[in-house]
Amino acid sequence: MFEFLNTLLIGITAGSIYSLMAISIVLVWRSTRVVNFAAGGIALASSFVGATILETTGSFWLALPVAMLAGAALSAFIEYFFLRPLLKRSGDKSQEIFLPIIATLGILGIIKAVLHFVYGDRVGVISPPLSDKGFIVSGESIALSPLRLLILGIVLVLMIVLTLVFQRTNLGLSLRAASFAPEISRLSGIRVDLIRTLGWAISGAAGATAGILQTVNGSGSVTPEAFEFSLLLVFGFVAAVIGGIESLVGAVVGGLTLGIILAIILMFLGSSLVFFSAFLILILVLLLRPNGIIGVKGGRRA
Amino acid sequence: MIRTTRRKFLVTSAVTAAAALSLSVMPAQAISPRSETGVTSTTIKLGITLPMTGSASFGYNQLPGAMKAYFDYVNANGGVNGRKINLIVKNDAYLPKQAIQNTQDLIGKDKVLAVIGALGTANNKAVASAVNLGRRGIPSLFVNTGFSGFTDRKKYPTSSMILPSYIMEAKMIGKYVNETHPGKKICLLYQDDDFGDDALVGFGKDYGNVVFTESVAYPSLSQGVPNVPDSWITKFKGKGCEVQVVFGVASATLYTILAAAKAQYAPKWILGSVGADIGSINPATVPYIIGATSMSFLPSVVDPKDEYVELFKDINTQYNKGAKFNSWALIGMNTAFVAVQALQSAGKNLTRKSLLAAIDNNGAKFASAGLVPLNYSKTSTAGYNGYWFGTFNSTGDLVPNSTFTYTPYTTDSGTGAVVKSTYARPKMPAKGLPN
Amino acid sequence: MASLELKVVAVHSRHITNRHRFICFALIALVVYILSNIVDEWRAYQGATVAVFVVAIASIILLTGYSGQISLGHGALLAVGAYTAALTQIYFSAPIWICFASAVIMTALVGAILGMAAARLSGPYLAGTTLAFAVGLPSIANQFSILGGEQGISFDAGWPPLSFGESFTQYKWFLWIATLAALISMWWVQNVLRSRYGRGWRALKNNEVAAELAGINLGRSKVLAFTVSSGLAGLAGALLAMTMNNVSPSAFPLALSFFIATGAVLSGVNTLGGVIIGSVLLVAVPLIASSISDRWSGSENLANVLPDFIVSALLILTVFLAPKGPIEKIRSRHSK
Repeated sequence: MFEFLNTLLIGITAGSIYSLMAISIVLVWRSTRVVNFAAGGIALASSFVGATILETTGSFWLALPVAMLAGAALSAFIEYFFLRPLLKRSGDKSQEIFLPIIATLGILGIIKAVLHFVYGDRVGVISPPLSDKGFIVSGESIALSPLRLLILGIVLVLMIVLTLVFQRTNLGLSLRAASFAPEISRLSGIRVDLIRTLGWAISGAAGATAGILQTVNGSGSVTPEAFEFSLLLVFGFVAAVIGGIESLVGAVVGGLTLGIILAIILMFLGSSLVFFSAFLILILVLLLRPNGIIGVKGGRRA
Repeated sequence: MIRTTRRKFLVTSAVTAAAALSLSVMPAQAISPRSETGVTSTTIKLGITLPMTGSASFGYNQLPGAMKAYFDYVNANGGVNGRKINLIVKNDAYLPKQAIQNTQDLIGKDKVLAVIGALGTANNKAVASAVNLGRRGIPSLFVNTGFSGFTDRKKYPTSSMILPSYIMEAKMIGKYVNETHPGKKICLLYQDDDFGDDALVGFGKDYGNVVFTESVAYPSLSQGVPNVPDSWITKFKGKGCEVQVVFGVASATLYTILAAAKAQYAPKWILGSVGADIGSINPATVPYIIGATSMSFLPSVVDPKDEYVELFKDINTQYNKGAKFNSWALIGMNTAFVAVQALQSAGKNLTRKSLLAAIDNNGAKFASAGLVPLNYSKTSTAGYNGYWFGTFNSTGDLVPNSTFTYTPYTTDSGTGAVVKSTYARPKMPAKGLPN
Repeated sequence: MASLELKVVAVHSRHITNRHRFICFALIALVVYILSNIVDEWRAYQGATVAVFVVAIASIILLTGYSGQISLGHGALLAVGAYTAALTQIYFSAPIWICFASAVIMTALVGAILGMAAARLSGPYLAGTTLAFAVGLPSIANQFSILGGEQGISFDAGWPPLSFGESFTQYKWFLWIATLAALISMWWVQNVLRSRYGRGWRALKNNEVAAELAGINLGRSKVLAFTVSSGLAGLAGALLAMTMNNVSPSAFPLALSFFIATGAVLSGVNTLGGVIIGSVLLVAVPLIASSISDRWSGSENLANVLPDFIVSALLILTVFLAPKGPIEKIRSRHSK
């Protein structure tokens, strides 16, 4: 009984972090129709920034917002200097998706190389601000600790904030309009380019949070080659696709689904099947619903 | 336009071919038949491939620094027969494919005399078969693994071990567990490859004879995947384990201890020697390993009266700037110490063959910090053959007892008994420099 | 724009005859033969690796450049080929060409299945699926003991025949075999790309609706592209297994798929002609980078980092300056 409960808790926590990454990817897709692999690099760089802030000030509560800002800044920088000129150039319709993906892969490589060079062997430590010992429920320690609660809380708050911004504010309306019909939006006076950069910036902040939480939930240390970040990128992307890459709600659904199912498989079938299961889950979902769980067939949703 | 395009195609291939030609002509020099590869009148080149980054690198990435420090000390005092030792370090992240690549590079590009201290059971096995070390006569000295199979001279004619084999270690753990914790529920975490399988032999019925209530085999490198160590702990807790043996690499041991702390699982820990010193990697683990059992064949790092420890500590301070003196530094320097004697004993006419012969003929008499003997001979490439057992003190260091008196045990990789060792370690050569 | 391209293609195929192509291939074979007699073992090993990448990059060019489907998972297909070749050799003691053939067939089969699922997907969905495939497939080596786990299984491609003499090293033998396999497969691929199947792929990449109206069965065409591309990837994997003498999951990380895709872009993802450029770059750049860092500073950190940095930088430069690849760039400059 406790085994299953613990598995669920582990899965929900991991899944919510994947959701954050998925949100990051969906945001970029919706605003610029680009699959952004550099999101992994942005998350990594922001986590290092967070670790440095933590080292110098000792405060996690300062490190997290600064890391988010760093992520937003880096992401906006990449959009402005790399993606915008690239997208303006490529007129070839069929290469529309391939070249930007490859370009973001190149950017990912550069970010990792630079981080590796700057930080070398040094490990960035992000120690959890709250205890990670599980609560004791009827004599048994369960997989819910103050730290886990914090992670879930942060993710929930971010999701609510993002939803409110997108659905209820003018900014959100502009964001949706600019991605759906850029020319018309321009005519309406919306500064489309600025809005797109903003979309990337928010995506960067989400990715940064995902990176920090992933570190804190895992080994507590971040290195340029950290496996956790490759995992975050891959699973985040898979979660986004499972949920339907057009929808923020889909990102959350996809992330949680992936997290829970993988945790169950990890517990009961062993760790060597986890990655293959992710693939199977993705294929199954796409076979039944080619546009993801929340995907809408045909046209794009605003 | 068509003609120029066709010509362009031909030109491109020709240009590429020329480029390839020039690239290849660069450092491809014929080996002078008079001197051995990796040896000049003033230098000896050795190479090592091991995990310097990645989930399995914890602890092991401190070894090369320590080895280099000892080599630098020897170089500053005249070198080996007038030659200075140069150690080339390559990172394989504990991946067999990378270890193969690195060894190819060490042999083909860096042209080393020998590979030393190559780390990892799976890596060494993959390299031996893929790179054909035996057939090419390239020595793989003092491999950093205890897989008993490496003493098979037919399969690995140029490899020598230094660590006691995993079968030996498992037998001793078995004896210890059966004597100290009879009747308790004993559980095992081991790596799911030949490293762990070797230990399973040692725990078997005719060997260490331990019956495990629950064993979990973890795939190599899966310890770095988030939540995987938690799943191991959940299994062990579920079975009510009271004594927990961890036979894994340092990072796996570390993650296990941390995950156990999270889940408040506190059995009696027995940490295998390969990955025991986790306190020096992450001080957060120290509170949880105080009183845990482990074993070593070298003196304790905090032994106040051991002459080797004193020497190595000094060398570490002088030549290994910035590195703490811990058990990883000790092991690294000891291996370098033994290597220098092998190089010395091979004589002025240093070749791969003479190096291998030197270990066969004189290896058993090499001085070292070990508290059990080295077992090199014309028929054996086995290194140390025993351990003393101790516990971790309040600073996370392994000690035998409060008086630092050691009671090492020795055994073989077969079904022989585990007996108290009668070996008396000879005095260290003057200034720690083998003559 | 597209119609002009097609016209150019049609004109090309009239004037670059089979004879010219054959001379080109023979020239390459000759160059490799000469080189193989000059260089040492280590360079021969690198040459064999270049041949592996030639085949691997060609498989991506076929799939993405010609049929417009994106795959980030070709590393896993190489793994299928490598494991198949190794298992064939271990359990059936088959001669090496049979091992290669079985690798191609098995991977083509896997590719056909993958293609059937992929034919319905496009854009990010296809990218995500192939990405998950790349990460998911190699890890099952840990699940089934026949696959040898992380340690891998060995692939003994054998030694050169004794009649070649004592000094004929195994790596030279690998170089010969790999080059021969690469040349044969490239010849075959060129023919396929000029056949009606190849034209069908070009058509569906440029405009799916028009292609369908012209009578091309989209689904079948896409699956066929995936199958052929996978077969090629399987051959590349088998060749890789041969050069490394060992097949383990660590040889097929996600980075490999990215690496091959990078090579495809560096060669020019739309044309087969530049495939040698990409593969040579992929092998040469890390080497050049490490010798640069050796010369400049002993910093090991730089040595680790420089190869990846240069490759990524090259990639970005190529995407910006010559998105269709260097050859197309030169061609278009000439045609102006």
